[in-house]
Amino acid sequence: MSSLEKNNSTPSCEFQGNLEILRQTYFFSSLPLETLKIFAYLCTREKFRQGEYIFRQDEDDGQAFYFIEGRAILERTDNGTTTEIRDCKTGEFLGGLTLLGETRRLFSLKSVTDTTCLVLNRGKFLKTMEQFPNLLARICNAVAQSIDTWEDRFLADRGVECGECRTRLGVTLI
Amino acid sequence: MIDVVSGLEQNAYTFGYALKYKIERVNGLAMSKAEIPIVKRSLFSWILAGNLKLQLLLLLIIVVMVMIRVLPLEMQKRIINEAINLRSIDKLLLYSGFYLAAVFFFSVLKYLTNIIQTLITQRTTARMRKDLYHHILTLPLNFFRKTQPGTVVNALSSELTLPGNFVGMAVASPFTNILTLLAFAGYLFLLNPLLAAVSLSIYPIVVFLVPLLQKGVNKYNKKRVDAARKFSARVAESISGIHEIHGNGAYRIENRKYDALVDRLLKIRIAWSLYRFAVKTSNGFFTGLGPFLVFLLGGYLAIKGRLELGALVAFLSAQERLFDPWKDLIEFYQVYQDGRINYDKTMRYFDVEPEHEIEPKDREPLQLENSVEVKDLSFATDTGIHLLDGINLSLKPGEHLALVGFSGSGKSTLALCIGQLYKYTGGSIMIGDREVSELTKKDMTNNIGFVAQSPFIFDGTIEENILYSTMAQIDDNGQGVNNKIPTLDDIIAVLHQTGIFVDILRFGLNAILTHDQNEELVKMIIRVRKNFQQDFGQELADYVEFFNENKYLYYSSISENLIFGAANKDEFADINLCRNEYFLNFLNTADLTRPLLSLGADLCRQTVDILGNLPPDAVFFEQSPINAEELEEYKIFVEQLKKKKLHELSGEDRQKLLELALRFTPAVHKMAALPEMLETLILEGRALFREKIAIDHPHAITFVQMSKYIYSQTILNNIFFGKTKTTSPQAQESINQSIIQLLIEEDLLETIIEIGMHYQVGTKGDKLSGGQQQKLAIARIFLKAPRILIMDEATSALDNKSQARIQNLLETRWKKKNTVISVVHRLDTIKNFDKVAVMKAGKILETGTYDELMARKGMLYELVGKK
Repeated sequence: MSSLEKNNSTPSCEFQGNLEILRQTYFFSSLPLETLKIFAYLCTREKFRQGEYIFRQDEDDGQAFYFIEGRAILERTDNGTTTEIRDCKTGEFLGGLTLLGETRRLFSLKSVTDTTCLVLNRGKFLKTMEQFPNLLARICNAVAQSIDTWEDRFLADRGVECGECRTRLGVTLI
Repeated sequence: MIDVVSGLEQNAYTFGYALKYKIERVNGLAMSKAEIPIVKRSLFSWILAGNLKLQLLLLLIIVVMVMIRVLPLEMQKRIINEAINLRSIDKLLLYSGFYLAAVFFFSVLKYLTNIIQTLITQRTTARMRKDLYHHILTLPLNFFRKTQPGTVVNALSSELTLPGNFVGMAVASPFTNILTLLAFAGYLFLLNPLLAAVSLSIYPIVVFLVPLLQKGVNKYNKKRVDAARKFSARVAESISGIHEIHGNGAYRIENRKYDALVDRLLKIRIAWSLYRFAVKTSNGFFTGLGPFLVFLLGGYLAIKGRLELGALVAFLSAQERLFDPWKDLIEFYQVYQDGRINYDKTMRYFDVEPEHEIEPKDREPLQLENSVEVKDLSFATDTGIHLLDGINLSLKPGEHLALVGFSGSGKSTLALCIGQLYKYTGGSIMIGDREVSELTKKDMTNNIGFVAQSPFIFDGTIEENILYSTMAQIDDNGQGVNNKIPTLDDIIAVLHQTGIFVDILRFGLNAILTHDQNEELVKMIIRVRKNFQQDFGQELADYVEFFNENKYLYYSSISENLIFGAANKDEFADINLCRNEYFLNFLNTADLTRPLLSLGADLCRQTVDILGNLPPDAVFFEQSPINAEELEEYKIFVEQLKKKKLHELSGEDRQKLLELALRFTPAVHKMAALPEMLETLILEGRALFREKIAIDHPHAITFVQMSKYIYSQTILNNIFFGKTKTTSPQAQESINQSIIQLLIEEDLLETIIEIGMHYQVGTKGDKLSGGQQQKLAIARIFLKAPRILIMDEATSALDNKSQARIQNLLETRWKKKNTVISVVHRLDTIKNFDKVAVMKAGKILETGTYDELMARKGMLYELVGKK
């Protein structure tokens, strides 16, 4: 699990690379460059071996991940039975909500190949946001829009098939 | 540097701390046993209390001094009238001898009185500060909500200085000066009653005028004390809220508030000083009129032959000497007035009754039965808002109660009332057969342990913090409750129970040993290193960058990469390299100077660009080559770099850039690049440096070798023979497990834990994470093992495993023995509590077991559903 093995992933490339990633991630993209630079600096790159858990169900690891390389699978265990939910692939960002406040994971995430993620934890995120309290509204807006888009798409794609779950729809109404 | 304690006797381990604590306590108690609380004591009560012998000695010396002081006057008269008039050399020498002896002895005695006065002043000020601090600590929590820390600091430091000065002068000054005045006045009357009466006629005017002006001084001094108090509180508030100020860029707002207070203080101080000078000036003016009258009348009498010339000289001399004691008296009067005002205002401010007695006076502290009975309890604020109303609950000894409900429902308030931290305003709380409001603090703390949601960790070592609650119980004989002083085994058991063991092990492993420390320990660590390589080298290779002479180390600094060893001489230590001529010449030889300067400049620019406006928080600076305290300096330096080229920089500036470059650790400091060419040059430089230094300074460096301990590196890096590459929790877990296994094999675990126990946690424990702080707070209460444990969301910052571990411990070891009242925020942890009480708006809505309440489908059911 190394952030730097060869000099072709030089630190400068890493900082610049982190910055590029954050600029393209919905959660951060509305922030000004000054703040993005701080997050790009505070992020770390972590490698997970094949089969290693990136986070586990019911735990509050307080981290957000961007998949730089590799693939992981999202699982949920109920009453001892584990069900695979979906794949997480290169370029995907997840865990934004956990940066905002304490949340227990409802899923586990297991790497199925050697995976490299860009990781930011809640402590660093909140410390930074303390310096820019006005920008928190932009992040909240991005999250709210993302939830809205998600449910909108879900209703359009799968709403009809929902069956008994229909009464539980409406996450955008919380 | 951490002191390694090997083969330490366990009892001796805690004995030293207990003894130190006992002495502090005895000192503290001596003060707290004063019959009248300090805030009720008059300023005059300090004059003799504890100073009686010194004051008496002072009086004796003063009587002698006054007598000696008159002697030169008589000698003056006799020298003129007898020696000079009669032209007697013998008499001249005799009287001059007496004169000289009198002056000499007077000076010696004067010095002695100064010493005694200083002793009285300083001892009294120290006692006032101690007693007031002891009193302040006992005041209700409510008092501190309205009082800024700055106000307390100001009261304890500057506001008690003047009262202390007054006490030091209180006997000596009036006694000396009045006696001297009387002696001189009597002497004047002896010389010439008419002249004496005329010259003393001025003083009644001064006695009338000075108090009038002093009223003005007092008025402004009172204002000054108030303004100084506000000023201190303002500064304390700004510093505490510095994050908010930075966050909002509210410098102007804060500057305006502060400047307004400074301006007000300035005006008050000027008016105060003007009045003080007016007192001095008017006193000086009127007393200055004395010689004028004497010259006028005395001259007339001498011309008329009705006064001897010697007598006139003696009279003038005696009259002149009236000024000093008179001036001192006026000054004393001012010190008294200022001291009185400071003292009264300070004592009045803190004249608040503690809500409970600290210790029982006529009995031993109670051992309470650990049942809890709450009946019709209410708690209302000063403004009449009922935070608790009609609370009833009952707990048998050893029962565990979970208090649940939304924020603001009164859970914490109820817990604080049961723990006597809040004084309830109605109803009853019985612990055993005793009413909580009637118990002393000592009764409570001997039986109850309290863990707050945001526990306070004190500056000091982990050990001091873990022993904090236990040592607070130590009595005057150095014994704990039930004669129980924790041993190292007790402490280690608690570290395991709370899950902070691994954290402390990590602190121990991150310690750097010095050359003079335990050789045996060093040998053992090298053995562990070999075993690590054999047993885990392959498995943990991904997590560790091993030291390798032929590879560039991305997790080590450039200086470490170049030196590749530990310095045996100070000039080759990392921090001194950029000033070491030999090393600088070597950099030139190895063609490294220019690229390093360029790298330093790049690092400087990038770091200032990213971190330039951030506060000095460890989170922001742990990945930075520039320390928080250096940032301002480098911000200015960046501006210079914009105007100058590298070759135009001064020697000092080049040193600064080199220092930064030599710190650069590519895998940590990611804001700049390590150019490939520079990497190659450094690897070549490493070999060149080794060759050169072996010839020029053969003993300066111990190079990194598998068989040698590297004193510049932490214990962990020595075991790894490398550096960790990751901070990921999973990787840390794997590393910890293997290291613990190896340390157990070598019987080294306890030694490393002892080293870790000496880790300094920083102010308010800021070097610890929130979780570590909570674990430490729980550990110190577990070590105390109270009969009743109150936990106010005490595990909220802990990870699942730690939380489950503590919950499990409470259920298996504490249930049926120790009563537990736990304010709980996570409802998945309450299933096994004996009782659950659900609160809303200051009332208990339902109480029962978890299953009962869930079956009832009431409030708890709803809460669990919402969660």
